[in-house]
Amino acid sequence: MKSVKADTTITMPPGQRRRGPRLLRQMAKRYDLYLMLLVPVVWYLVFHYGPLYGLQIAFKNFNPAKGILGSSWEGFGHFERFFDSYYFWRLLWNTLSINLFSLLIAFPIPILLALIINEIRNKTFSKWLQNITYIPHFISVVVIVGILNVFLSPTSGPVNLLIEAMGGTPVRFMEEAGWFKTIFIGSNIWQNMGWQSIIYIAALSGVNPQLYEAAKMDGATRLKRIWHISLPGIAPVVIILLILDIGHFMNIGFEKILLMQNNLNLESSDVISTFVYTTGILKGEYSYTAAIGLFNSIINLILLLLVNRIARKTSETSLW
Amino acid sequence: MRKHWGRNAIMTMIVSSLMLAGCSSDGGSKKEAAPEGSENVVHTTGFPIVEQAVELKMFTRIAPVNGPFKEMPVFQDYEKLSNVKVEFIEAPTDGFQEKKNLLFASNELPDALFRSGLSPLETVRYGSAGQLIPLEGLIDEYAPNLKKWMEEYPEIRSGITTPEGHIYAIPGIVTLGAARTDKKWINQKWLDKLNLEVPETTEELYQVLLAFRDGDPNGNGKQDEIPMTARIGLSVVSAMSGSFGLDTQLGYNINIENDKASIWMGSDKNKEMLMYLNKLYKEKLLDPEIFSHTEAQYLAKQGSGNAGFFFDQTNNNFLSIQDQYTGIAPPAGPDGDRMQSQALPIARDFGAFAITSVNKYPEVTMRWIDYFYSDEGSTLLRFGREGEHYEMKDGIPYYTEDFLKDITNQAKITPYAGGGAPHLISEQVASFINPPQVQEAQQKLDPFMPEVRYAAPMFDEQTAQQVNILRNDIDKYYEEQSTKFIVGALSFDKWEQFQSTLKKMKIDELEKLYQDAYDKMQK
Repeated sequence: MKSVKADTTITMPPGQRRRGPRLLRQMAKRYDLYLMLLVPVVWYLVFHYGPLYGLQIAFKNFNPAKGILGSSWEGFGHFERFFDSYYFWRLLWNTLSINLFSLLIAFPIPILLALIINEIRNKTFSKWLQNITYIPHFISVVVIVGILNVFLSPTSGPVNLLIEAMGGTPVRFMEEAGWFKTIFIGSNIWQNMGWQSIIYIAALSGVNPQLYEAAKMDGATRLKRIWHISLPGIAPVVIILLILDIGHFMNIGFEKILLMQNNLNLESSDVISTFVYTTGILKGEYSYTAAIGLFNSIINLILLLLVNRIARKTSETSLW
Repeated sequence: MRKHWGRNAIMTMIVSSLMLAGCSSDGGSKKEAAPEGSENVVHTTGFPIVEQAVELKMFTRIAPVNGPFKEMPVFQDYEKLSNVKVEFIEAPTDGFQEKKNLLFASNELPDALFRSGLSPLETVRYGSAGQLIPLEGLIDEYAPNLKKWMEEYPEIRSGITTPEGHIYAIPGIVTLGAARTDKKWINQKWLDKLNLEVPETTEELYQVLLAFRDGDPNGNGKQDEIPMTARIGLSVVSAMSGSFGLDTQLGYNINIENDKASIWMGSDKNKEMLMYLNKLYKEKLLDPEIFSHTEAQYLAKQGSGNAGFFFDQTNNNFLSIQDQYTGIAPPAGPDGDRMQSQALPIARDFGAFAITSVNKYPEVTMRWIDYFYSDEGSTLLRFGREGEHYEMKDGIPYYTEDFLKDITNQAKITPYAGGGAPHLISEQVASFINPPQVQEAQQKLDPFMPEVRYAAPMFDEQTAQQVNILRNDIDKYYEEQSTKFIVGALSFDKWEQFQSTLKKMKIDELEKLYQDAYDKMQK
């Protein structure tokens, strides 16, 4: 309570020490800031907390005519059905593995790219490289998958023509379960590395140039400079971005996976989010898929908390 | 600080509950208006249907080939005739299923659904929820044409009535046999060129396809012929299954023998068929793009004349080279089975039309749709205006040659193009889809058509949900594994595993549910 008192004495003009709705008075005084805050708060309430009320259908048998409140309770039945489902392990494994592999492979690449761009002396070339790598980011997912289909087509795609010219047999890239994850993650890297590297480049430009000069004087090689100055310089940014990435770990790439999916690669492309779409929206099983979605979000939350905790323990940087 | 936390939480709750109340309050207010048509006379026969004009909102599917519904002559003319103004909410075929489900989930219903393709499960679910109204009473009083067909073909009624005795959706009715099955088209020009006979067995078919592949029948010196193709996915299975003794009764992969319904997905005959298709696929006799090409690409393959053997209901897609193809009978399988199992019931398009609970004029709506179940109404729907779009020859409507000059016009003026429209397809209105060539192809199939074709049964809500849960897993598994067996991504050593997984997914339970439904139908 002491600190609170100290607080009031700072914000209150002397002589106005009436007890009462302190918060309201504070708000009246800083009304302009609170008005600004109102916009995001309302946005969060309406679009992020409001819909939480609908989550209860995961424990109900949702019937649109009766509404959310009027539907009968089911308990954990939908969860049990999902855990007992033949596809449960496959869905879980695909969801986790696709995201884990993307994280392992796709996460470091923008950092490397940023370091390379930062090291290039020729400014024209480095700008050129930066532009080339980030332009694909603006292509829509539908077009990307279209491009993949054309390039990897077994009959007319340039990739397979090349393979054939070298004496190999054409590979049906889009229809083989074994290739799915490689193509998905590979094209993601191609599309997004330039865009994601921007933030690292910005962080690199914030590193004090005197450090580089001092290191140079002491005879540090270029690699050593990267290792001991550039990397530690951007480490906090890297960690924050990593945690943010984990934040949508389970939901990444839904549209793209759905577009690339077919019966032949379903073995490795069937993930929780596409399963929710096909059974929930297309077959109208709202309660069942709400339960699956909730399960998905809970895993995600656990992962986020875990990574944040590890980050806080091992380094100074963390989200909270 | 704890106190403030509490206050904030309360404020949050108040604000959000106010907002939620605002969101959900509009749901109940829709029904308030009682039928005000009490003084507005609804005629049970003749036109107009009502004295004072009535307006209806209908949700519908618009196929890529269609033009806007409000520009179709059928709806323009019928509005004047019936005094019922219909405003269509059009959803394209892509994503239609999604929009339809969201309509029901959000409870923002139109007055009726036209060409809605509701599944039996959907009709039962939305019907027992009260979002769709029961139609059996309305049909008796306000739908003389539909009633006539239901009396003539009793299987229509049994196929659309729920166990509780309600009808929540009415189907498209197809009395023309040729419109209920895909013909088997073979490239006669290639057969002639290579001096081959029409194949009578699956083995002969294999030899013919081999010759198509290697004999360069199109004479361009390149091996670019497509010996055999089909619509995307497993449609090739339903086209060939009859040769292996596999039927499609009860709207599912079911054979009925001696009143016993058995699901054949795990049977040896199915294995035999998949092995045959695998052989065709492996040797590049079956189109390698069969699991990836689009509908448009498939139709283009028909029209290019470069396909050897394929399946389609009509010859409309290769009219310009129609002499090149001829319809054949299903080939006999290794065990002598010879069946055209890909045949649909008379109530072909299930759930084509339904009336919702917000509709203030259900009687008017029922009379409105019933007209399309007469030859006259169906002619209007399929052919448009006499003189402008069609002319009568021997009492049968034909599109005028002028109108057909640009072939794409045809699908623009009629909502039947693209399938699933609630109306009658009889001999009378089939001059375009059933020209002599198609009739001939159908005659080849006729001896092998199943005697009775049971439509998908109607389950009660609880059973329907049970069937749904079982089929969600089973169908997905079956489709995925069959595809893999055909392309060879899964070897047939794994067949026993496939069978045992089906067992694990409780295929026996599913079979029993269908058996029960069949028994009920027989009573």
